[in-house]
Amino acid sequence: MADLKITDLHKYYGSTHVVKGVDLEIPAGEFTVLVGQSGCGKSTLLRTIAGLEDANQGSIEIGGQRVNDLPPRDRDIAMVFQNYALYPYMTVFENIAFGLRARRTPRAGIEPKVQRAARMLAIDHLLERFPRQLSGGQLQRVAIGRAVVRNARLYLFDEPLSNLDAQLRDEMRGEIKRLHQDLGKTMIYVTHDQIEAMTMADRIVLLRDGRIEQQGAPLELYERPATRYVAGFLGSPAMNFVPASLTAAGNALVVRTRDGTELALPPTRAETMAAHAGRPVVLGVRPEHMSRGGAGEARAGIVRHTVTIDLLQPTGARTYATFRLGDAPVVAELQAHDVSQPGERIELAFDMNRVVLIDPDSELVIAG
Amino acid sequence: MRSATRHRIKLALRLAAASAITLFFVFPIYWLFMISFKTADEIYSYPPTWWPGQIQFNSYAVLFKDGDATTVWNSFVVASASTVIAMFLGTLCAYAIARFRTGGDHLANWIISQRMVPPIAVVFPIFLLYVWLKLVDTYIGLILLYTAFNLPYVIWMMRGYILDIPRALEESALVDGCTRWQVLWKVVFPMCRAGLFATAIFTFVFAWNDFIFALVLTRTEVTTYTVQVTHYFGGQSNFWAKISAMSVLGTVPIFIIVGFMQRYLVRGMSLGAIKG
Amino acid sequence: MRLSSRDRRFSLSLVAPSIFLLLLVGVFPLVYLLVVSFQGITMTELDTSFQGLRNFRMLFDDERLWQSLLHTVIFTAIALPLELVLGLAMAQLFIDKLPGRPVFVALLVLPVVVSPIVAGATWSLMFDQRFGPINEVISWMLGGETTILWTIKPDLVYPAILLAEIWQWTPFMFLLLLAALSAVDKSQLEAAAIDGAGWWRTFFRIVLPAIWPVMAIAILIRALDLFRLFDIVWALTKGGPGTMTETISIFAYVKGFQQFETSYTAAVALMIIVLLSVVVMAALKRVELTR
Ligand SMILES: Nc1ncnc2c1ncn2[C@@H]1O[C@H](COP(=O)(O)OP(=O)(O)OP(=O)(O)O)[C@@H](O)[C@H]1O
Ligand SMILES: [Mg+2]
Repeated sequence: MADLKITDLHKYYGSTHVVKGVDLEIPAGEFTVLVGQSGCGKSTLLRTIAGLEDANQGSIEIGGQRVNDLPPRDRDIAMVFQNYALYPYMTVFENIAFGLRARRTPRAGIEPKVQRAARMLAIDHLLERFPRQLSGGQLQRVAIGRAVVRNARLYLFDEPLSNLDAQLRDEMRGEIKRLHQDLGKTMIYVTHDQIEAMTMADRIVLLRDGRIEQQGAPLELYERPATRYVAGFLGSPAMNFVPASLTAAGNALVVRTRDGTELALPPTRAETMAAHAGRPVVLGVRPEHMSRGGAGEARAGIVRHTVTIDLLQPTGARTYATFRLGDAPVVAELQAHDVSQPGERIELAFDMNRVVLIDPDSELVIAG
Repeated sequence: MRSATRHRIKLALRLAAASAITLFFVFPIYWLFMISFKTADEIYSYPPTWWPGQIQFNSYAVLFKDGDATTVWNSFVVASASTVIAMFLGTLCAYAIARFRTGGDHLANWIISQRMVPPIAVVFPIFLLYVWLKLVDTYIGLILLYTAFNLPYVIWMMRGYILDIPRALEESALVDGCTRWQVLWKVVFPMCRAGLFATAIFTFVFAWNDFIFALVLTRTEVTTYTVQVTHYFGGQSNFWAKISAMSVLGTVPIFIIVGFMQRYLVRGMSLGAIKG
Repeated sequence: MRLSSRDRRFSLSLVAPSIFLLLLVGVFPLVYLLVVSFQGITMTELDTSFQGLRNFRMLFDDERLWQSLLHTVIFTAIALPLELVLGLAMAQLFIDKLPGRPVFVALLVLPVVVSPIVAGATWSLMFDQRFGPINEVISWMLGGETTILWTIKPDLVYPAILLAEIWQWTPFMFLLLLAALSAVDKSQLEAAAIDGAGWWRTFFRIVLPAIWPVMAIAILIRALDLFRLFDIVWALTKGGPGTMTETISIFAYVKGFQQFETSYTAAVALMIIVLLSVVVMAALKRVELTR
């Protein structure tokens, strides 16, 4: 049974339409990441689920019960806020115990619960301190501890890691994930960081301008994006988009860029896409879809093409090489020593099995 | 070396100027206090002395013996009662205005404009109303008026302090199981403790220092110390000893209070425009 | 903002008591004044019949009323700029590091927190013709006994009242402006210094614009206070000699509570409120009070 079910949810701030008809079902125990650009309505959606904002239209059900008209306290949720939202005048212990006390948990039950949550997050030595005496990472642990101790049905996280530095972020990411495995609770996690989304999610829900653009498992979205927006949003460096046209050449189907470069599709894909022959398309090619292929490799769909490198950005193990294809700049992710200096001409192998083709009018990815 | 000398001279000059200015502003207060410790003979001796020849508390003793000192108690009763009520009602109102935008900008602006109405224009019809309600010269009458008159200030200031509280703190409490009322008690009030304290002090001082309301609305029973001071101004001669002693009695409490809250003074005086 | 009906009920219940009290002292008087000002109540007769605009017409012929308004304007026009300039100068003096600054500032606060009526009493001690220190100092300087009647001689009452007024409120300006000056971005000043801007230029181009919002609020607060000037004048001269220093508030008090011209006073009070509302509206448009 779905733990959270949202139907046709709308939310306005005054006359601005922020959430524009969201339908979402989240199975019990799943870790769902809401991801999207800044301002797309992630926080609003989350806060509406929590009851901190009132929905204008649609229904929200938690555990099969419609909660639209329930105040936050009766929705059986716990939430972790971006700026921790710890009470500065309370000790760590009191902060974690706050929710239990507000719910009139018997005094004797509080202490062990707080202790257990604190041990779980390795903050049991900090219980007597005040928030101002803690570091950012510790603060975040306390904030999570406050949610964990509650044993709620649904856990909501609104960009809980965005205030931490990169290293702590990696660490906490793993920690939250582990917590999810240990507790087995339904969790919804908001972020605008696509790497966070990819690494943590059982399922990604990608929001765009108040609507769900696509949802599914991380690799599903990565490998089979439904729209150009999804294709461009996930992945770093981002997918390259090259304006082109789809041309029939005998039995084969060829992607022809504006400068006349022809990249043939493998026969299996050519079959399914035949209907699009003769139409303009956008070729979507990820940096890792190109490689300095050795001579031996001659699978179907591997197409060789010689390019002139304009710019090199070494990162250590890998090097990002920029060249022009048609009239668009394209970044390829190569091995460190594949290319030595700008201006060099090299032959690249394009994996045409994995590139996506996009209809420039509808911006939808062409299936196949 | 030369520039160091010049620097020193400049500093000395600034110190001298600062001392002179401070002397100007403190001297009258010194004079007021000092007179209250002089004997009557010394007060009315020419030329005036700059330091009491003999410090004595007779002027105060007289005030207490005659019962005039109870006017300070009256001031205390009305000022503290009205402060407590205004703080309670005003903070709740401020919370609604800050968090729920109740009444929108109109209500907030109307409230602060109430602060700017001249007291004389308010007290005149209130006086007529009080005559009818038999509230003239009663604690309740004064307390009610001070409460209402200080409310805009409390609401305005507390609104500012409440806006300084991160919303997420309250939301977190709501999610964790608090009702709105519990949020007020457990989060909002503790979070703006300093603001509550500072605003209460200001409210108290406003009521304590008021003259015109008390002048109009008191007769003999609940006369406040400010009104009492003016009773000692005679047609021909003024009772300097009583004037100064009564003024000191009314001023010392304020000095003590203000000494404790230097930090909040500027924000309170600027209607919250400057955050300390 | 959209509120659930639960939250709306909650918020209205929070606001209601305060609004009720404010209406009591904000709107009731207004209505009452309006009613009474159209009647003919005086000390001698309780004439509640409708008198039309008679009381308001009387306003225009009342020389004493316009005089008191003029006095109020004079006090404001002199005291306000002086307090502002002196306060600013003092703030400039104290803004840089100065040994003992906290002590100075703590002492300078004192006049502001004293009750205005006590301030007035204090200055009447200071001005006393025979036993006051001011005449004593002047005697020293002139080398002979001087007995200047500060609060009685027509050409000295204004300076006397203004001195007391400025004494009490210059520290107010000082404190606010000192806080504003401390908040000026130091890097902007350093940048100006590097660009070779002189003191005046820096002051007018950088400092003044930076402290203007605070200055505007300080001016507004003080202007409104000065408009209702009562206590200090009452303690020093009670509006005298004659009616020379009568402010609009004192005038209204005398009319209402000493001569018992009830209906006429109501008209005066209404006029004060209307006049002030116009000024406040205009001022609030220019000052950023709401955040
Ligand atoms: N209280 C509010 N009143 C009016 N508009 C609001 C309010 N809160 C948010 N908005 C608007 O609603 C839109 C969505 O905001 P929201 O905070 O949900 O975005 P977000 O996806 O969480 O962004 P971010 O990643 O920056 O946190 C934004 O355009 C924002 O300007
Ligand atoms: Mg957000």
